[in-house]
Amino acid sequence: MNILLIEDEASVAEYICHALEREGHACDHCLDGESGLERASHGAYDALVVDRMLPGLDGLSVVQSLRARGNQVPILFLSALGEVEDRVDGLRAGADDYLVKPFSLEELSARLQALCRRQASADSQETTLQLGDLHMDLLKQEVTRGAQTIHLQPREYKLLEFLLRNAGQVVTRKMLLEQVWGYHFDPQTNVIDVHISRLRQKLDRDFDRPMLNTVRGAGYRLEAG
Amino acid sequence: MKLKRILRSITFRYIAAYVAVLSLSVFLLMMVLYAFSSYSYFQGLRDSILEELDTIELIYNGQGEAGVQQYIADQSSRQILMQFAYLLEDAQGNRVSGTLDEVQESKLFGEGWLSFELVQIYQGRELDLDFLARTRTLGGGQQILVARSLVEAVEGSKLVLSVLLHATIATLILGLVGGYISANISLQRVETLNDEIHRIVHGDLSQRLSVESHQGNLRDLVVNVNEMLDHTQSLMQGVRTVSDNIAHDLRTPLTRIRNALEQLREQCPDDNADAVQHLIGECDELLSTFNALLRISKLESGSTYAGEARVDLQALLQDAVELYEPLAQEKQQQMVLAGGQGFCRGDADLLFQLFANLVDNAIKYTPEGGQIRLQLSETSEGEQQVVVSDTGPGIPAADRQNVFRRFLRLESSRAQQPGNGLGLALVRAIVRYHRGVVELGDNDPGLRVRVSLPA
Repeated sequence: MNILLIEDEASVAEYICHALEREGHACDHCLDGESGLERASHGAYDALVVDRMLPGLDGLSVVQSLRARGNQVPILFLSALGEVEDRVDGLRAGADDYLVKPFSLEELSARLQALCRRQASADSQETTLQLGDLHMDLLKQEVTRGAQTIHLQPREYKLLEFLLRNAGQVVTRKMLLEQVWGYHFDPQTNVIDVHISRLRQKLDRDFDRPMLNTVRGAGYRLEAG
Repeated sequence: MKLKRILRSITFRYIAAYVAVLSLSVFLLMMVLYAFSSYSYFQGLRDSILEELDTIELIYNGQGEAGVQQYIADQSSRQILMQFAYLLEDAQGNRVSGTLDEVQESKLFGEGWLSFELVQIYQGRELDLDFLARTRTLGGGQQILVARSLVEAVEGSKLVLSVLLHATIATLILGLVGGYISANISLQRVETLNDEIHRIVHGDLSQRLSVESHQGNLRDLVVNVNEMLDHTQSLMQGVRTVSDNIAHDLRTPLTRIRNALEQLREQCPDDNADAVQHLIGECDELLSTFNALLRISKLESGSTYAGEARVDLQALLQDAVELYEPLAQEKQQQMVLAGGQGFCRGDADLLFQLFANLVDNAIKYTPEGGQIRLQLSETSEGEQQVVVSDTGPGIPAADRQNVFRRFLRLESSRAQQPGNGLGLALVRAIVRYHRGVVELGDNDPGLRVRVSLPA
């Protein structure tokens, strides 16, 4: 992926870019809002990572300007703030996701992947999702693996749908809480793990090769069995 | 109850002590007055008897015994109470004449003064009268005794004494009543002040006592208490700022360490990777503690929710129950949501965090097979009320206020349960941010948490 990072702290910017490059992405970075807006308008990027606090033109204005010009590139907002209103403001301005500093690089990387995926799948009107022998019919809301029908609770279905849409990618617990349950909060317990293990039971119990795998320290990944 | 409080109040005690001392002094003063007036009556009586004796002696010297007899007879027509009584005896001690028959029992008390008691008929009544008397020997060896009733002196003294006693009693009663009234007034002022202070200390520390409604030195006290509150608040603010700054400044380097560890893990052989992963986990825990601390501070910084979003509490509670149900099932706990619909103005993410914390706590502290119940209802004042109750060990009444403090976990539970000790502090911060109230109560057995949110 081709990523543009707009972040005023040079050391942080360098650090993030370095990590993204290590994961195989291309990363450009700008240190202020004006040049960031300029680059984003002319370059072809798959995703933007924009810090909220920038000298001159702030992050919020950059995003608003881009959206006003009809630029639909996925944007992830970064912020050291991160209380309720800040998040709402960021999303309202047109950002697609919001990450509060400090964050782990895995979280950032997983979210960028998900953003690009979402962008791609929004363009095509899918009616089914497929991964290996796993098949999800979005219209009938049916899931089969091989010849076997898998019966899922509504929430389990949503969970699997999100994993399928991000198949092959790491999905963090935070992302699951936000996307599947719809709440941005900090569970005190690893409550997601219990839901995942229930889904795994239904999905992998009768099969030799597990699809739903835990990525140590990061989250989960759904892979073709 | 009120009477008891007033009687126990310091004002009343001061006034009572003052009245006691005052009454005692008044009483002593009166006793001195009494003694003095009795003495002067007595003195007057003596002087009049001596004068009468002088008169009789003069008469004797001029007119002889017959003159004296005539004088005594003249005097006898006057009233007994006002007059002198006489007894004239010859040199041999035989009664010659006089208004007294005979003096049988008399007491001699110094310098020739006698006193005796005589029954006299006065206005048809028998009166026991005390007499004071003195005898003088006339030129021919005759004895003349002049006596006078003490009744006047005694009556006078009695009058003085009764006035004195009544005055003392009146002083006591008036003093105590006055003391009661002023103690009541000052007690009311102090109690109002006390209530106000209690409300501030246990509620909103940014409130102040109203200076206008007090006068005099109570006003000075109020001003001082307000200053003290200012000071306390700024100290607390200072501590909070310091801890916030620490949390804030440590977050970034800690994240760097965490990310560096992540990179290290990728390059490690498998058996070392576990150790590195453990370190990453520790970093994550620290980070989440710092984040929670900062969130609480931000929520408590004074502003309240200003948005317009309406939150469907029933749907939100259903989501929370659904999210946590698997955890409860692992402990064979029953979790139920009861009640109808309810909406309130607020931030859905924060409210979810609030109930997630409560449900998470309930699951943690309730033993296996226990019950957890969430009840949504509307109060008569139109507030939305959510009660989360469990059948766990509960929290002793004395600790219920303390558990909302940051990092406080009860000693008995500290060792057993994971968590950063900020869960309930965050709960309270979120509730207050929404201008609500959270209270802990007894579920008999277990804990009952009641959250009230304005609609």
